[in-house]
Formats: sequence, structure tokens, C-alpha cells
Amino acid sequence: MFVGKVVGTVWSSVKWPGMTGHKLLLVRPYHLADLLLHPQAQAQATQAQATTGAAAQAASLPAKSPALPPAPAAIQSEAVVCIDLLDAGVGDDVIVAFGHAARVAAESESKPPTSAPITPIDAAVVAVVDGIHIVRPGT
Amino acid sequence: MKRGILVGEVWASRKVEQLMGRSLKLVVETASADADAALYAPLTVAIDTIGGGTSQPGQKVLLAFGSGARNVIEPGPHNRAVLADAAIALFVDGE
Repeated sequence: MFVGKVVGTVWSSVKWPGMTGHKLLLVRPYHLADLLLHPQAQAQATQAQATTGAAAQAASLPAKSPALPPAPAAIQSEAVVCIDLLDAGVGDDVIVAFGHAARVAAESESKPPTSAPITPIDAAVVAVVDGIHIVRPGT
Repeated sequence: MKRGILVGEVWASRKVEQLMGRSLKLVVETASADADAALYAPLTVAIDTIGGGTSQPGQKVLLAFGSGARNVIEPGPHNRAVLADAAIALFVDGE
């Protein structure tokens, strides 16, 4: 699975029967550097301060934290097209499952259950993120 | 399987039923000691069943993917209904 941001949608009129009734979303995976700058991520500069749990909204990166190095030129994550099972929207942070796990999720969430197999699916939104807690390694 | 470093966790209330009760950890897929290498390495959400609440950020882990991940969650041949595509298989003590 990976965590990413919904950046758009894809639509189609000619498709495999098992794929009808589901929206397709474009999700761009996050890197750790993105999450350290993310306003909803509860980032902490030192492990000593690390706490876990459901502190919903937290301050962004503390000012004393070292600046992030620039992204290497080769790093530009391709957006992944995935099936939407939870009615997520553009701008949401979501968790996407790949492969067989995506088909397991799609089969259980299909309402009503379709008789057509959903074999073409290999990526699905399985959760809409409420909060993220991260600690920058090496700090 | 891939080596990685545990960097945090993610939580969600809107999720598919099979993820209820699962602990979702954020793991960067890097074996490098260079902290900056982790910033742009692939970031995976892995199910953690072996930590039992003890896993801390900075912990080196080994990730299992695909059917290997399902076998971490529920060993055996009849686990095709388990929703897991990445799981923490073990904590790395040394390498």
C-alpha cells in the first residue's frame, strides 16, 4: 500500500463490465519529504519528542528542524490510476492497495455484488487518511 | 522482500472493512544509513502485526509483499480473502 493525494479523475465509457459503477482516481504517491512539509502530518524533529496516537491536527515542522535538501531531478512520482471504493474526492489523502489486495477490497465493496469478475483491477483506494504521524530518520 | 526504516504511522476512520483494527505503519524502502536518502525513497504503508505496539520510528524492518504479506497476517493456503499487500515481516537487529 502507499499513501498519496488524489489529484484528478479518469473516466471511460468503453470498459470491462466488472469495472462499471466505480470511479477512477488519479493518486500521486507521497515521499517522506512531502509529508514532512504536510500541514496535516504531525511531524517531529526528534525521537525523544515522539508520541503516537490520535492528536488530530498538529503544528507543521518545527522551526528548528534542518531544512530539506532539494528533490533529485529524477524524482517525480507518476500518478497511479486506482478504483475509488470510498467516494474520495480530489484533494483527499488516501491509502491505495495494490494487486490482489485491491481486488479483495473491490469485491467486498461492490454494491450490489456484480456477477462479472473484476480481474482488471490492481489498485484501489482502501482508506481515507485522517492523520499521519512521522519522525524524520536520523534526527 | 525489502529492507526499510519505520518512520511513522497513518490512521483513517473511513476505510474498507478488512482494514478495521489493522495498525498501518509508514516505512521508507531504503537500506541506506544516509538520512537524506530516505526523503525521496519509496514510501510504503505496511500492516504491522508483530510490533504489538512496541515498534518505534527508526526501527529497521523487513517488508513482505503480495502473498508473502498475507502469510504474515494469516499463515496458510486459505488466506486469499485477507486484504494485505505489504506487511512488516521482522525487525532487523543486524545485517
